[in-house]
Amino acid sequence: MIKCVVWDLDNTLLDGVFLESPDQPPAPDPALTGILGELAGRGILQAIASRNPPEAAGYAERATGHSFAAVRCDWGAKSAAVRQIAAELAIATDAVAFVDDDALERAEVAYALPDVLVLAPDELADAVTWPAFSPAVLTEEGRRRGELYLQRRQRQEEARAFGGSRDEFLRYCRTRVRIAPAERADLPRLHELSVRTHQFNSAGHELSEQEFGDLAASPRHQVVTVRLSDRFGDDGIVGGCVIATSGAEWEVPLLMMSCRAIGRGVIDALLAWVCRTARAAGAPQLIVPCLISPRNVPLRIALTGAGFRAGQQPQAGHARYARQLDDPLPALPGWAAS
Amino acid sequence: MTGPADVTRQVRQLLAEITGDDRPLGAAADTPLLRDGIGLDSLGGTVLLTEVHRRFGVDVAGEDLNLDSLASIGALASFIQARLPR
Repeated sequence: MIKCVVWDLDNTLLDGVFLESPDQPPAPDPALTGILGELAGRGILQAIASRNPPEAAGYAERATGHSFAAVRCDWGAKSAAVRQIAAELAIATDAVAFVDDDALERAEVAYALPDVLVLAPDELADAVTWPAFSPAVLTEEGRRRGELYLQRRQRQEEARAFGGSRDEFLRYCRTRVRIAPAERADLPRLHELSVRTHQFNSAGHELSEQEFGDLAASPRHQVVTVRLSDRFGDDGIVGGCVIATSGAEWEVPLLMMSCRAIGRGVIDALLAWVCRTARAAGAPQLIVPCLISPRNVPLRIALTGAGFRAGQQPQAGHARYARQLDDPLPALPGWAAS
Repeated sequence: MTGPADVTRQVRQLLAEITGDDRPLGAAADTPLLRDGIGLDSLGGTVLLTEVHRRFGVDVAGEDLNLDSLASIGALASFIQARLPR
């Protein structure tokens, strides 16, 4: 699934070369601008990698009327720009498409980053009909994704200038995490998260809306949503989990969070909340079966930080992370509420 | 050959780069890396493991299921040291 399209500007998104006509820069290519708008409407992020001064990106934003979630205007290798954009947006390079009119640039990116989908501009009209560009579900969060990443850009710029600790920065941003039982209207977003999350996904397989609905209605399970907001904006539902509550030990068959929320205290708050809720219900131990994959290392670090340990070697690719609930539990930050 | 003191020094240097703070340079070897110690979160921890893989060729996440090597600066340095080519 493609989550971000990285555009070249000269002779691609712009109908000419930016620096060759500084007084009257080239107009945007109407066909490609139309495709860009269509993809943005599907919740796919847009970014720029261009060998131009930074003003070129500002011009492209004004001329196309679209905002870009990440911008790299410099004279380095395009593969470096694509890698930096993926890191900045916290997405894997196999979720990135790169569009450039220059065959040499395309070859360089394809060689350095074989996971990236590399396209010439004239291939794009056809490519947008491919399943990789067609998310099966489109939620309110999905439609607003470009705007949410723009807020993320502003937040990261302030974080770089901020001197204090991460906790101080989260408080300064007036971060709010709200954990609540899932309602019917939340099911499409929970399904979407189960499809789109990889770095913070314990199960490694998706659940349908129907399956989430059945679990939410089951007396032996709890399904919860996690909402995130701060003074930069409201991110809506960024995570969730399914908890099996019928056994003596509580078990979490699915724990997931959007990578957009990385570094904002959400996963730590959710783990602290689940531990505390399980202990309040009398469970002696909490189990999180977790897929062992190179992609969900961030989740496994969060589990380790919250005091979970994987008892034995993984079976069928999953390890059982467990935590006793009698020793001091991780603190629920003051800005998190249920 | 890279000696133990050198690996520890490089780990401290890496932590200072990731946190943007020079306190890790003088932190005790038993300082925890996550949460209340150096204060790495899952993002910082992932950047650390990626850089350790790149610089030392040691895949901590692949070899240490429990990530016990993130317990402290010294634990991570020993884990890397034990896997360096001799």
